[in-house]
Amino acid sequence: MGFYILSYCCIAISLAAAARLIYKQLTLPMHVRWEIYPVQHEKAQRAAYGGSYMEETDWWKTPYHTSFVNEFKYMASEILLLSGLRKENKRLWRVSFPFHLGLYFMLVSVILLFIDVVVTLWGPSAFAEGRVLRTMMGGLIVASGWFGLVAGLIGSLGLLYRRLADRDMQLYTTPADYFNVVFILVFFLCAFLTAAFVDPLFDAAKSYLLGLLTAGTYTSAYDPGQNIFGAVTIILASLLTAYIPLTHMSHMFMKYFLYHKVKWDDAPSRPGSAIESAVLQNLKYRPTWKAKHIGADGEKSWRDIASSFPKEMK
Amino acid sequence: MKKLLKLSDIAAASDCLCHVEPGELSPLPFPYDDFNQSVPTPLKPEKMKNVEASLDDTVAIGIPKPAGREEEEALVHQFLSGLKKLFEKENNWTFLQPLLLSMDHCARCQTCSDACPVYEMSGRQEIYRPIFRSEVLRRIYKKYLRTGGKITAKLTGDIDLNWKTIARLAELSYRCTLCRRCASVCPIGVDNGLINHEIRKLFSQEMGIAPKEIHDKGTIQHLKAGSTTGMTPAAAKDSAEFIQEEMGEITGYKVDIPWDVEGADILLLHNAGEMLAWPENVGAFAIIFQAAGLSWTMSSEAAGYDAVNYGLWYDDVQFSRVAVKHADIARRLKVKKIVIGECGHAHKALTVIADRLLTGDLNVPRESAMVILENIVMSGKLKFDPCKNDFPVTLHDPCNVVRAMGIVEPQRRILRKIAPRFREMTPHGVENYCCGGGSGFAIMSGYNFAEWRNLVSSRKKFLQILKAFENEAQDTPKYVCAPCSNCKGTIRDLISYYQAEERSRLYYGGLVELIVNALDGMKKPMIRFGEKPSWE
Repeated sequence: MGFYILSYCCIAISLAAAARLIYKQLTLPMHVRWEIYPVQHEKAQRAAYGGSYMEETDWWKTPYHTSFVNEFKYMASEILLLSGLRKENKRLWRVSFPFHLGLYFMLVSVILLFIDVVVTLWGPSAFAEGRVLRTMMGGLIVASGWFGLVAGLIGSLGLLYRRLADRDMQLYTTPADYFNVVFILVFFLCAFLTAAFVDPLFDAAKSYLLGLLTAGTYTSAYDPGQNIFGAVTIILASLLTAYIPLTHMSHMFMKYFLYHKVKWDDAPSRPGSAIESAVLQNLKYRPTWKAKHIGADGEKSWRDIASSFPKEMK
Repeated sequence: MKKLLKLSDIAAASDCLCHVEPGELSPLPFPYDDFNQSVPTPLKPEKMKNVEASLDDTVAIGIPKPAGREEEEALVHQFLSGLKKLFEKENNWTFLQPLLLSMDHCARCQTCSDACPVYEMSGRQEIYRPIFRSEVLRRIYKKYLRTGGKITAKLTGDIDLNWKTIARLAELSYRCTLCRRCASVCPIGVDNGLINHEIRKLFSQEMGIAPKEIHDKGTIQHLKAGSTTGMTPAAAKDSAEFIQEEMGEITGYKVDIPWDVEGADILLLHNAGEMLAWPENVGAFAIIFQAAGLSWTMSSEAAGYDAVNYGLWYDDVQFSRVAVKHADIARRLKVKKIVIGECGHAHKALTVIADRLLTGDLNVPRESAMVILENIVMSGKLKFDPCKNDFPVTLHDPCNVVRAMGIVEPQRRILRKIAPRFREMTPHGVENYCCGGGSGFAIMSGYNFAEWRNLVSSRKKFLQILKAFENEAQDTPKYVCAPCSNCKGTIRDLISYYQAEERSRLYYGGLVELIVNALDGMKKPMIRFGEKPSWE
């Protein structure tokens, strides 16, 4: 039961930390525009060379339009293939790509396992043990799990090597960065050894998930105590789940904000728009910057200050 | 062998953190290889005894040295107070979200380093690496402002905070041109250019520290006298009269520059530096607009005839004041739109950044001159003879127009039509390299900073220009089209520093000059290589 409690706690921490990060982003004041072109939700023709709607005469007379399809195409290749890194830093991509692929396939494996467990518990008869669909699902889990483990192991080893051997990276790598890579490497190593020597078809993983979903009450729930590698893998996987959103590795999901809320945020402010309302709110803030030319006293608003002259002039 | 510089060295008590030795800068090809041993002229110790100059071989700000330990501590305290404000919505709503995201998600993968022309051209000096200054700020922030930071610093990266750290960080923030090439290649979306911008803001808005060229003689003078050039409204009108006469010589007919026309369709905002240094640019606009029959005006109100907004580079409050002033002038003139002339940072300042500052009737529509010029050239209203531009032309892309605004093709479509020997630089468009004069560098020339700019920050652009013309004969005149005043000033200085007019017959100018040069029916050519213009 201790393992289940650990996993529950780690999942809760992970969700809470991710929710806190996202909530904070959603409640920050609207910032000024700071986009960088190419902005991928532009029309395909323009996105190809980095053009914007501001290339049009009287652009404000045309409705602001974004292309989800163009954006999706770019994001799919960016997320799945790390195409940006591939273009700009191929040396790093060679290790970072398998590393990320390993994590993605681990995630896919967990999702597949979860589906398998749900159908075991509540699924229709077409998914019963021994039926074709169930066998196919089992095959997918094994393929995805093994692929993820091998890719992740190679990738994390490569990343660690790169951080240690590349002088430029080594100079800026902090003890926490090494810890992160080693943590993930040890996880992949333990999971690999568990799969290799104890659980090649991921049946035990399935049983653990069954137990996790039923608070250990299901009859064939897995007992991690049976095997040291299995136990360590479960502990590491749980801790890793909690740890990622607490570090810069939260870029896994925070990249959404870095791209969509900054790099590609080109929405113009139109009279009466929500953007204009947000700006009007921002102009009510009362800054306290101390330099003489600002003339802030904690009472005057941004609007007052922006429409005044600097003190040096008086 | 040079000692490997670490981040923590920024707090060290040395006289110079980074010194470039002759031969360390990226090599230049023949016939410029005699510059390969050049380094900035050493600063004179007697001149520097009261000024903070312990970062590298140049000085951008010239911060006075504190009188003693007590003053140093007070300044450190002030710095921390300003740093805290960068993360408060009341003080920094303008950039809080981008700043937080960039501070928290850097993976230190160094992809940004190879994108930075200053770092590359300096011979990869550690301090110029885009992540260097960001990481210094990040570590100070985590250690001194986050709960438990002093304990976790051993894990997340330790750094000492003393007056040396701060003085060097202030100077270091003026070794980046804010071209944001680093940000455009970051796979995560982290923006080291933005962090640098925020460091500058902290120093200006909390401590009153900024280079005099962009503050005292920049935004302050702009708001006070009407222009960063010091030009008063009366002087601006005088200049325009002179420009009209000069343009009459070229066109053979009277050219008018209309002032303060209420209800005109367009308020044209020029960088006032054009009126002084490149009056032909202002004149060329007038010729084109007049020939196209546009309804337009310039403003003779203080600040209304100078599109610049230096606040963009270092101070949100000064930025806001100038932007509001520009918009208010347009509002009172009741124009339909503001068109920004050939000034890159003015493009971004008024069109993009001020977009979330100007509300109600201050939100007057704003447009790039590139767009309206393309319309005119492509409309068929005016007749062109491209043969008049039968010389090699390359285009420099101002970062603020391309990477920051996505205005990439209009200027190219014009050039393809009027300049038969137009060729691109590599890379170009949104992947361009900065001229090296971005973020105020073009106008900063105290101590030996202009020399540092020519040797280091502009070096990549110089190499790009040479490469674009490498297959042309040495004695063929070549034209670098730079549709931005600051870029143009930087390229002018580059050409002069490397004697490139004599050695490669390299010339520079704007886009409108090329348009007018190709215009049918002109009495005289606008571009006359090697001939000194009458106003010089």
